[in-house]
Amino acid sequence: MTDYAYAGEILRVDLSSGKTWGEKFDVADRRKWVGGAGLGAKILWEEVPPEVGWDHPENRLVLATGPLAGLPVWGTGGLTVVTRGAMTNGATNTQANGFFGANIKYCGYDAIVFQGESPDWVYLHIRDDGVELRDASGLLGQDTWETQQSLEKTLNLSGHNLSVYSIGPAGENLVRFSAIQGDYGHVASKNGCGAVMGKKKVKAVAIERGTKGVAAAHPKALFAAADDIAHSLQTDPSTKGLYLYGTLGGVRNLQGMGALPIRNYTTNVWPEEVETKQWEANGLREGFDHRGHQCSACGMHHCHMQVISSGPYKGQVVDEPEYEGWSGAGWTIGATDPQQVTWMNTQLDRACVDVNEFGWLCGWVMECQQKGYITDQDLGFRLEWGDIDGANRLLEMICKREGMGDLLAEGTKLAAEKLGGEAQDCAIYTEVGNSPRGHDHRSRWEEMIDTCTGSGGTMDTAPPVFPTDYDLPARVHPQDAEAVPKHVGGLRGRRAYEDSLGACVFTTRAPMDVLCRSIQAATGWDVDKDEAMQTGRRINALMRAFNLRCGIGPEVEKPSKRYGSTPVDGPIAGVSIMDQWDKMLDIWYETAGYDRETGRPKPELLRELDLEDVAEALWGANV
Amino acid sequence: MKILKIIPEKCTGCMRCELACSYEQTGTFQPSKAVIRVSAFEGHTSYAPYTCPQCDEAWCLTACPVEAIGISPAGAKDVADDICVGCKLCTIACPYGTMFYDIDTHKAFKCDLCGGNPACASVCPTDAIVFEEADKTDWVGPFAAERAKSPAGPLAGVL
Repeated sequence: MTDYAYAGEILRVDLSSGKTWGEKFDVADRRKWVGGAGLGAKILWEEVPPEVGWDHPENRLVLATGPLAGLPVWGTGGLTVVTRGAMTNGATNTQANGFFGANIKYCGYDAIVFQGESPDWVYLHIRDDGVELRDASGLLGQDTWETQQSLEKTLNLSGHNLSVYSIGPAGENLVRFSAIQGDYGHVASKNGCGAVMGKKKVKAVAIERGTKGVAAAHPKALFAAADDIAHSLQTDPSTKGLYLYGTLGGVRNLQGMGALPIRNYTTNVWPEEVETKQWEANGLREGFDHRGHQCSACGMHHCHMQVISSGPYKGQVVDEPEYEGWSGAGWTIGATDPQQVTWMNTQLDRACVDVNEFGWLCGWVMECQQKGYITDQDLGFRLEWGDIDGANRLLEMICKREGMGDLLAEGTKLAAEKLGGEAQDCAIYTEVGNSPRGHDHRSRWEEMIDTCTGSGGTMDTAPPVFPTDYDLPARVHPQDAEAVPKHVGGLRGRRAYEDSLGACVFTTRAPMDVLCRSIQAATGWDVDKDEAMQTGRRINALMRAFNLRCGIGPEVEKPSKRYGSTPVDGPIAGVSIMDQWDKMLDIWYETAGYDRETGRPKPELLRELDLEDVAEALWGANV
Repeated sequence: MKILKIIPEKCTGCMRCELACSYEQTGTFQPSKAVIRVSAFEGHTSYAPYTCPQCDEAWCLTACPVEAIGISPAGAKDVADDICVGCKLCTIACPYGTMFYDIDTHKAFKCDLCGGNPACASVCPTDAIVFEEADKTDWVGPFAAERAKSPAGPLAGVL
């Protein structure tokens, strides 16, 4: 049997003609590309030529899962979105969890690939083999939670018997940093994938919990490997906090190292009146009536629902923010009341934009107002630091593209370039156009260099996970200009592999040997940590090749002036990353095996990665 | 007698019990064949698994016209596949909706406590399902009554 761990089919949807068909997921391709990010990268490279921009009908929108999805390894309902995205107009690799990956595999598919552009608004309904594009005109204007509720009513299904991944008003109006949200609180947020879905006029994908089974090659070994991953997550010092509290611990911890972005990078010091305790992990969890709302087969105490306990939004049910939410909907815009921040965070999920980009944009507007670069008249009202109702008003303007909202809907980079001058100098963005994550990367150099060099519209390597698996030091000083790029370049590949498995990157944080055992048991492959890394590097290299073909090269691999500025206070006051930038890039390129001059993966690397055709496309036949 | 005790307050709706159960039933991961099911209440904020409580007065057993349902050594009401004729009377008799009918085999099927080592209990990551001595069987009723109440309670009727 060759279909272990896979449903075996890719669902193709041509929106222009309304035609849908199943395509075999070639067995030979499975081990090479795995699924998720790998499958998406392959489709992007083969089917999206450079003249097809993010908003061109022939752009592909790939919603893919992977071999671990629908199996009992923790956190395996994974969705990876791959497309040519609206922020960078280059490759996108962004994830959400929930039940997408499980439910779609029980319907018999490993991925959905949209092409073309629908003449009218539609949603895609999937029930086992029954696939249908249905009229979505009645859903227009609804936020993502309302859309899911509406479809639950229409289809008469509740709980996890229906997964809905949709765009909100932001995606409908092609806000460049709009996202795709599913199953109440899981957001694939990066690189404007929601705008691509909106351009194709797809409001939602509604997947019933199918009736088919997914087989594992060695099911008992799979349970054993899943238990070992779980044990590692519960006990390893690097993951125990995540197991207990998800990413909530990040606020206090990152603040301590000067990596919590406060008021648009203008300070790294908490205001004196802040009640420290309520911002610690247990304070954020226990400050609310809360309930677990886990993804498929997951035992992490991570995703939660909570009830706002005081203030104007008292009684409302919201999704417990991730660290990124407390940062983007909170500290970045000067908001310090958790009750208000959590409300705003869910507003952003419902309207459906990237919480990081909104934070940089809103914080920038606030600072520009304070300094007079954007007047009350320009904006239409006064927006002060920490004004949550004002931030929500700004969100509405952006989603409807009203007034200045129309410019802001283009994202921080394009809006700042339009305004220019001193206003532009305050804006946090990368020259390539992707949104930095919600940290102050001036204190986390690994994330800044990763954000600027990443090929998937966000970081490629992300925080180092068990670096000793690959003979790298367990940890390096976050401002060590030599060790940091070696770490980022040296671990490059692991994340792309994880992003191809249909699993959550928080539950794949186990030693690579243990993770590989789960993949062996699921698929029957004798995959080991070196093959995993090789596969991940192949995916990264292909996404980079795609970007180079689209004209996105090393010249834009740098932070904006404010993003790369020197902190004026706090734990790392006066420490400048830009003094070291070129040296760091040199080391990163060397470690990654990419050519410093052209940005291309070197031909010998491409051949080693079994990408002969890519080597030829980038370097010519004779190199 | 050990039975499956359900603590719905601990359930987070991850559905891992359904996966493990379906593996026991079919050898693959196919929740549509699971005999434990997780229901959502209050729009994705409360979940509860439910399965056969192994009633003392088992209506499935008394309703079966061919005496296909017996009591296993583990104490579970169990369907003998070679006797079951697939008439579905047991599925109608069961007051809990935990007797199922397999459209592929044309037989009734239900929780058999995995022969005394229930997979749902061993894989539940939050200990919402435990296998232990107890004299009560209705674990979900009061929880469902409270959580499904509308519009009372802060979480009700909001989503």
